[in-house]
Amino acid sequence: MQIAVSGGKGGTGKSTVAINLAVELAKRFKLVLADLDVEAPNDHLLLGVDLANEEPVNQFMPRFDYSKCTKCRKCAEVCEEHAIITLKDGTPFLMPTLCSGCRACEIVCPVPGAILEGSRLIGHTYVTETHYGFTLVTGKLREGEERSMPLVVEAKRRARNLDYELMMVDTAAGTGNTVSKAIEGSELLIAVTEPTPLGIHDTELILQLGRLMNLKTWVVVNRADLGDVGRVREIAGRYGAEIVAEIPYSESIVKSYVSGRPIVLEEVPEAKIFRELAEKVANFLGGDE
Amino acid sequence: MQVAIASGKGGVGKSTITASLLYLLKDRYKLIAVDADAEAPNLGLLLGVEEWEEEREHFGAKVARINSESCVRCGICYERCPYECIYMDDEGNYVVNELTCEGCNVCGLVCPVPGTITLEQVRSGVIRRATTKYGFPIISAQLDVGKPESGKLVTEEKEWAKKLMDELNLEHMIVDSAAGIGCQVIASLGGADVAILIAEPTPASLSDVQRAYKVVQHFREPAYLIINKADLNPGFTKLREWAEAEGIPVIGEVPYDRAIPKSMAMLKPVVEVFPESPASKALKEIADVIAEEILG
Repeated sequence: MQIAVSGGKGGTGKSTVAINLAVELAKRFKLVLADLDVEAPNDHLLLGVDLANEEPVNQFMPRFDYSKCTKCRKCAEVCEEHAIITLKDGTPFLMPTLCSGCRACEIVCPVPGAILEGSRLIGHTYVTETHYGFTLVTGKLREGEERSMPLVVEAKRRARNLDYELMMVDTAAGTGNTVSKAIEGSELLIAVTEPTPLGIHDTELILQLGRLMNLKTWVVVNRADLGDVGRVREIAGRYGAEIVAEIPYSESIVKSYVSGRPIVLEEVPEAKIFRELAEKVANFLGGDE
Repeated sequence: MQVAIASGKGGVGKSTITASLLYLLKDRYKLIAVDADAEAPNLGLLLGVEEWEEEREHFGAKVARINSESCVRCGICYERCPYECIYMDDEGNYVVNELTCEGCNVCGLVCPVPGTITLEQVRSGVIRRATTKYGFPIISAQLDVGKPESGKLVTEEKEWAKKLMDELNLEHMIVDSAAGIGCQVIASLGGADVAILIAEPTPASLSDVQRAYKVVQHFREPAYLIINKADLNPGFTKLREWAEAEGIPVIGEVPYDRAIPKSMAMLKPVVEVFPESPASKALKEIADVIAEEILG
């Protein structure tokens, strides 16, 4: 089983919701939390753990054996990223930062051995045991790399290869195809938002994505006292999404966020909100006894 | 001059601060604003833009489609798709998930039946232009949900903005970038003269701004730092220490201030509606520093 926490706008509290839910749900399920915000992964900081079991993610990059290349230009023609440029005589050159590693060039090259296996390090994945009985998988894009998709795919693959009953994914901000890649395969999408006009605007985008993906979607309103929850409810209603939790702006949450200790472990009113939400998720997934 | 505003982490106040700085600098310079967060564009909202004067659709994205009539169900496309975007539907047909396809055409190249898999150009989103009620123009993009290549939209936005700068004889482009450090942020920072980083004093924001700074360093741009919600976490000194160690000038600290969400709800920059609030006072000082030290 898989569920996703996303939200469109950045900084609405996706990771806060994800890690607290994970701590609670790990009591009922063998759980893996996948931090697929590969451009800005933070779940480990919020959980107070150092990333462990680093594995490099290398992306294929063509290397040309110019003694074999017939300068037919086919590789350059099929490259959708225009990462291969050719000189006047057809000699191909690679612009490494544009290369997506898709291997289209290798597939069309008519001369065996003219395109050799090269690779470039684009990031890392990590598998970290947390103090709370679940495993955290993290993808981290290398600074300067443009494409997060291959890393999202790789981190998710690494998570899938672990032994679990429930995988929770925490996505990046945004609503593009790397977010849909992270969400893909989920039975439930939890959209975390804030009731500001910005949060509301971006919630609609993530609700659109949920609808396109045919996903049951719930909305969590964070910092609910800082705006108009009614507007969120109206938009959520339009997409058949239910508001399942309202979290007030809270110094305790800020403190827990900063200290790397999930708030759900504390005896404070905010913790109860996360416990109840976890209960609701567990009921939805049929995990209660 | 081109100034890019980035943070790595989302929700630390990029657009809020950008809107206020635009408001404070609009009478001193001829500006153009670019909202370079195509996946969650918000700057237009914060500047009270209600109607766009011009909208251009973009068809830069490509996605693969499989014709199930001629498909022989060999499964080669499914095996070879580098991003695992092909699946089998309930009727046993191979289908491309258009919400995750990167448009690389590997499936089309490996398919043994000619014409079965085609790469089709689809709409990736729109780029819009408006004149804000404050007089300066804004360019904003909106990626269609689930589409690839938001970075290309950002590049297009900046091209449009550059043309407008030439036509209207504008001085400075202020680019409000997306969260993260990927294609959109690289497109925002590429070609900028100066980067202004925004961070809050939390471990997560520090970690992400450090990553954004590494991208800034790739482009060898001078960087400045604004600390937002500066009083959020008094014991946390690492952000300042990092800036000092890297030699990044801290050009101001904005306190946590409820006037900011209030102003947001009014769809106006905080400096316009609550000019005497603590955040507004700090922002005014920052605008002066930017005018003096960066824009000249």
